Amino acid sequence: MKNRLKVLRAERDWTQADLAQRLDVSRQTVNAIEKGKYDPSLPLAFRIAQVFGMAIEAIFDPTPNPDDRL
Amino acid sequence: MNSTDPSLRSPGSSQQRDCRNQKLVLLWSFLWALSFLAVAQGIKREWLSSGVVTFAAVAGSAILGIATVLAYRRFLEETDELRRKIEVEALAVAFGVGMVGGLSYWLLVISGAASETGYAYVFSATIFTHPICVLIGRRRYA
Repeated sequence: MKNRLKVLRAERDWTQADLAQRLDVSRQTVNAIEKGKYDPSLPLAFRIAQVFGMAIEAIFDPTPNPDDRL
Repeated sequence: MNSTDPSLRSPGSSQQRDCRNQKLVLLWSFLWALSFLAVAQGIKREWLSSGVVTFAAVAGSAILGIATVLAYRRFLEETDELRRKIEVEALAVAFGVGMVGGLSYWLLVISGAASETGYAYVFSATIFTHPICVLIGRRRYA
């Protein structure tokens, strides 16, 4: 699943640690989501949407990442 | 970063909670391992005089073991979701190693191809599989 997390974070001048603190997750989780290695749970996706003040579908795109492995 | 931002959670709360829970798991694990070794030595060297004392010592050790399981369960419930995924994947592999390794070795024992003393190695392999898989998982998602 593709996402715009890195772009949205950069627009707000937040570090991964800043975003992780806002979401109450580890920096590793934010990094893994940004790289497309990990798809967040629905509650976390809602929290991300809330933090950025956007709809989930404006942040996440269900199109498979080219790097996604089976 | 604006510290008055309402979306900002308490600083380092996730890490602090994980750290506290991990310390509790380690503490209970250490106490359980210590009690297990003490009871094992007590039985082997016949320090435990009667059946009642032995039963009480084994029950005490088992209670510490249950406390370890509950502490680990709490850690899993409260930890970050990626960490939980890594831990659960590691548990699945460790369980598989224990089951497949243990039952395969049992077949070797009943066939006479291996001795019962080798169960300790299978047990050790199961114990060490979990932390190794956690490290591999952390690298995979880094």
